[in-house]
Amino acid sequence: MRVIDIHTHPVFRGLNLFGRPTDLNRVIAHGRRHNVVHMIVLGDVLLFGVNPNIEQLRKINNDTIKVVKARPDYFTGFVYLNPLLGERATLAETERCLKTPGFRGIKLEVANNAAHPAMRHVAKAARTFNLPVLQHSWSTTNIKDRKHQSDPVDTALFARRNPEVKVIMAHLTGIGFRGVLEAKGLPNLYIDTSGGYPEEYLLEFAAEHIGADHILYGSDVPIRENSCTIGRIIGTKLSAADKHRILFGNAARLLNLKLT
Amino acid sequence: MKLIDTNVNLGPWPFTPVPDRTGPELAAQLAASGIRRALVSHLGAVFQPEPMVTNRKLFAAVKRTPGLLPVPVINPALANWREQLAECLAAGPIRAVKIFPNYHNYSLGSRKLDPFMAAIADAGLRLIVNVRLEDERHRYFALRIKGVPVKQMAAFLTRHRDHHVLFSGIYKPEVEKLAPDHENFSAEVAFCEITNVLEIMLAKFPASRLLLGTCTPLLSTRGQADKLRCAHIPARAKALIGAGNARRFFKL
Repeated sequence: MRVIDIHTHPVFRGLNLFGRPTDLNRVIAHGRRHNVVHMIVLGDVLLFGVNPNIEQLRKINNDTIKVVKARPDYFTGFVYLNPLLGERATLAETERCLKTPGFRGIKLEVANNAAHPAMRHVAKAARTFNLPVLQHSWSTTNIKDRKHQSDPVDTALFARRNPEVKVIMAHLTGIGFRGVLEAKGLPNLYIDTSGGYPEEYLLEFAAEHIGADHILYGSDVPIRENSCTIGRIIGTKLSAADKHRILFGNAARLLNLKLT
Repeated sequence: MKLIDTNVNLGPWPFTPVPDRTGPELAAQLAASGIRRALVSHLGAVFQPEPMVTNRKLFAAVKRTPGLLPVPVINPALANWREQLAECLAAGPIRAVKIFPNYHNYSLGSRKLDPFMAAIADAGLRLIVNVRLEDERHRYFALRIKGVPVKQMAAFLTRHRDHHVLFSGIYKPEVEKLAPDHENFSAEVAFCEITNVLEIMLAKFPASRLLLGTCTPLLSTRGQADKLRCAHIPARAKALIGAGNARRFFKL
């Protein structure tokens, strides 16, 4: 079964598998061993800490540009943004990255909570350039850092405030059962399966409540293992059609990827 | 590829909707991921004031399912731990017992464990020390139990040099911290994960001391089995981690 991985960090200096844009052949070989035919590159988002300035943001996005330019057949880029830098910087950096073909989305990490007023700049960029927004999300029930971490309540609020923007709530295991229910009933909100250990029954629960057509496979490599994160989906009792949607079809449709 | 799973449980878990499977149902779940033999405990023993109620359920559940090998839970902090052990040995045969120091509120490094360690050695049993059952970030909000601290694991290994134990639910960084100073432990790999984790671990840790575990039913059986099956490591290492080490360690 072919796989599109919507949550990857091929340039990630904290771990020794990946590292530099020049290591792409290793990354592609790794992906292909697991039937991953395409990866969405989200950038080395914590390279300069939680709140990068504009120069730091450009350096991170420049690495993504290098990756996408080198192998556009295998990599699609998301523009990494820091909403706290304001509207002008947000729009300018998005426009700069989009000059490279192969950028199809926006990535947000932990500069701010998704309920922060600065998120309106991101919503504007998403609307202006017709891009989905992938927001790092994690339950703050046990992680008490609501300033930076977006609880599923916050990511759902961003989606509710901006119904014309497609939003991807990252990290199914991180948001948990409560997070799935926050996403329920929001047609513009998707969940990716990346992050955390492969806890059982969450995926079936998500498919039951938000529909398999709103779930996207993501690994979070190199932090996680493709074999394990794909096996978690293959091993469920979901239908073969639903597994195909989660592993490939939904991402291809959402990002309008024409993969041969 | 033959797979022996060293971290499997029966019984319900109070915080997630895992099914309360029968022995044959569990065996079928494991077989769907290519696992034919497994060392099985009962999750009920984690929270019960005394583990024998659920140990009895465990023995009854696996009695007619030869692929499931019972690993009863002993709580050595209770006054009746010798009785627990004696009843389990009588109900056996068993190859190992499991302890949950963090859930049962005692320190793994305590000298109070000395007579318990001597007793299981006399009985020819292996010891599995469960380090954690879940990612602490996702536990139930009112549960404040953390994994067994590395410091306690190290103290235990130093104190019981003649015993080789299996740590289940251990993180990769914890293995790396213990490895330089301690050779008397093996690690079950359900909670070891980064990209190419086994390949990376084998650079610093011998394949002869890594054992497959899925942490079924709390984690995905298939996902964990595929972590080994798809690993980019030599076939011999794969065979050892998948079954050979468990066969040797538990004398299967």
